Formats: sequence, structure tokens, C-alpha cells
Amino acid sequence: MNAWLAGKRARIDGRHDAIARAIEAAGATLVSEGECDIWVHIARPAATRPAHMLTHAEWRAGLDAGLDQRFLGAQDFAAARRARGKGGAVLFVGAPEQAHGADHAAAAGALGNLVKTLGVEWARDGIRVNAILTREVGPTLGHLAAYLVSDYAAYVTGAVMGVGIDD
Amino acid sequence: MGRERELPVPAHHILSLPPPYDMPPYPADIFAGQTVLVTGGGSGMGLAMARAFAQGGAHVAVMGRSIERAEEGAAEIAKLGVRTHAMSCDVRLPDAVAAAFDEAEEALGPVSLLANNAGANFPILAEDISSNAWNAVTRIAIDGTFNCSTEFARRRIVAGQGGAIVNNSAQYIWTGFPGDAHSAAAKTAQATMTRKLAADWAPYDIRVNAVAAGFFPHATSTAGRREGGIEPLQNMIPAGRTGSIWEFGWLSAMTCTPLLGELSGQVIVQDGGESLRRSLMMPDFVPPRERADGPWGWR
Repeated sequence: MNAWLAGKRARIDGRHDAIARAIEAAGATLVSEGECDIWVHIARPAATRPAHMLTHAEWRAGLDAGLDQRFLGAQDFAAARRARGKGGAVLFVGAPEQAHGADHAAAAGALGNLVKTLGVEWARDGIRVNAILTREVGPTLGHLAAYLVSDYAAYVTGAVMGVGIDD
Repeated sequence: MGRERELPVPAHHILSLPPPYDMPPYPADIFAGQTVLVTGGGSGMGLAMARAFAQGGAHVAVMGRSIERAEEGAAEIAKLGVRTHAMSCDVRLPDAVAAAFDEAEEALGPVSLLANNAGANFPILAEDISSNAWNAVTRIAIDGTFNCSTEFARRRIVAGQGGAIVNNSAQYIWTGFPGDAHSAAAKTAQATMTRKLAADWAPYDIRVNAVAAGFFPHATSTAGRREGGIEPLQNMIPAGRTGSIWEFGWLSAMTCTPLLGELSGQVIVQDGGESLRRSLMMPDFVPPRERADGPWGWR
């Protein structure tokens, strides 16, 4: 996998050691700002509480982090790629729909169908959009993420997948 | 990414293109010492899977209904420098499958990787599907995947060693496939089996995944009777192109590598967005019955 991402610049929002390691090991340069070919957004772990114990503010915060910020970030990334006349790859990483509370269930489901939509809307911009919804955190997730944002997955877009049997 | 070949899409569109065939995503020894059995491996998508495993150093047992086609495929794969063995087998028959595994293991050693690709598919109206045709298409894919996977798993469990299975499913499994009812049923069964077999065999370190493949043209593709071949069809796919057969082979083999050693129970759609293309305003609906001569026509 040494050359999967050779010459690519990748921005990773959110902390995930296995993914950052795999993307770097695949040859990409990690950047925190400026031009990038790849944008990976990793959801921060959500608190899990029964819906009736969530305040509206907490509910809204969950949707904001799990859905709204991700959509807005994808918009920004795609606009920058179009301005450059270049394609790119977006990857969202988070937990499966039913892994946390109702806020997460709503956000993750919405994100999944958003991925399927943006993958088609931006297909002819050469921008691919995929998601991994999983409980796994190890090297397989890192490698799968690196593969999906590489040209080896050039024909994979609008795809939502997990890693393990419980995803 | 870029535009390295002439495609029938507008010039300002940007397409994502895969690396060339001679640059597989994994090292040439990633499957060294292992044997893969590929059903329907003599041609088409099965041959692409077999080549991809061979690019990772696996020995390849090529299984086909026709021994001639299996032998032709095996000869192609052998050019990659791995050992091969061609066999004829009807995957619908459990005893024949067991005998084929015996033959493959006799020739090449224990089979630790399995690619379930055997399938038949042709456009036809639902009301015209004979019981023979229904049985053939559904049982090759559904019973064939079950027979080969269970034979494989029993052997791996006895050996106390894990393994990996990849199933060739299709992009239309979650949407229906009007004009192809037998294949619609068959390919979704493969995908939903994938998840359950993965759960059943997780304790034995046997992983099971599927690639839900879009349109990857090859010599034996069915594309209906269409003037001009598949070139014009590239423009109908969001990605702006049909798939390159080797990128399907690579993803299939990738799911079986230790790089994705925890991946199991997954159905990965690889279709350039083909199954997702829709809008509220679309061209007039034409019932399959009335598009006999169109793309994917059944006549």
C-alpha cells in the first residue's frame, strides 16, 4: 500500500490514529489547511443516552456534529476542488446508525443517504464521496480508509460500508 | 485522476480513473503459499478475480461448467507465474463441489481463499422466465455460493485455520432489476448470505465479504443488442465510464488480504454511482416489455 496515495495531500478532520497512520503510510502528505486532494472527516464519539433524556440543545449538537458540519465541510472541499479543476475524494468515518443515541441514529442515516446523493451530484467533477460506519478502530479501518480515498477505488462512490460483522 | 483516454463524456467533465493493470494495490507475495478457488474463473469477472489473486501470488484453481473455458482461463492466469489447475464442476451439486475441492487441493494444496463468481444472467421478461431458466440462474448463484462456501468452511474449520471468501454480487441488489427478475433475486441472496455466513464463521476466523459490482465490460458481457457496443453506455453512468475489469478484480482480492484482516460481512458497492442515479424528473418510463431492442433489451 506504499504508493496508494503518493503525491496526494490529505486533510483529516477529527482524531483517529489508525486512519492517520494508514493514509501517511500510503504516501499522502497530511495537511491541516490549504489545498488538499482528500478530505477525511471523523466523527467524535457521541454520548449515548435514551432520547427522552436528551435536551433539544444536546440533540441539536449531535446533529450539528454528525451531519450539518459534515455537509458544509464537503461543500467547501468540493468547491475548492472545482475551482482547481481537479477531482478529489471525501470519506466520512463514524459509528453505525444504531451504535449510539437517537441523535446519532438520525445523523448517521442522513449522512448515509447524503453520501449516496453527493457521490452522484459530484461524479462528473471527479469527486468521490464514501462513508465507513463502524465500531472498529484498528488497522483494517485505516487501510480501508486509505484504499477508499485512493485511485484504486476510482469506481467506488456513494458507497456506505462497515468493517466488522456487528457494523 | 484525469483523462488518459477518449471517452464519450463532455470534455469538461473530470473522471476518476484507476491505476493501470500492472500496478496492483498489494505486494506480489501477499497471497504467497495460498491457493484460491475461483468459480466461473475461466472468463469474464471470474477471470478478473483470478488474475487479481494471482497478482498477489496465490495459486489458482479455476472452476467452470466448461472445462475448455476453465483451461483457457487457467492458461492466461499461469502467465502471471503462479500454479493453476482447471476443473469442470456444476456448483449446484454438493457432491460435485466436494470432489472439485478434493481435486484442487490435490493439485495445488489447501484452498484457503474462495471467490464465488459462478453465475448466469440474461435479460428476459419475468413472465417469460421458464422454470428451467429461473432454476438455473437462481441456483447457480444462491445454491452454488452456499455449496462452495460451506465446503470451504468445513475444510477450514477442520484444519483449524481461517480463510477468506469473496462473493461477486451486483449493483442492483437493493433496487430491484426490472427485466432481470431471476438475477435480481439471485444476486441479493448472495449479498444477504454474505452477512450471515460472516457471522456464522467469525469464530473460525473465516471472513466473508461481497463486491456489488456495476458494469465491467468484458468479452462475455451481456449488453443487449446495441449498435456501437458499450462505448455510448459510458455516458449513462455517473462516473462517466464503465468499470475497468481489473479494478473489480483488485477490490475483490483486497477484501481477502491481511491488510483488511478484520473486514467481514461487508457488501461493498463498486458501480461508479450507477445504482444511485435518479431524479424526480427522468425520461419516460418504458416497461421492460416495450424495450425489447433497447439497451439491455431482452429480444
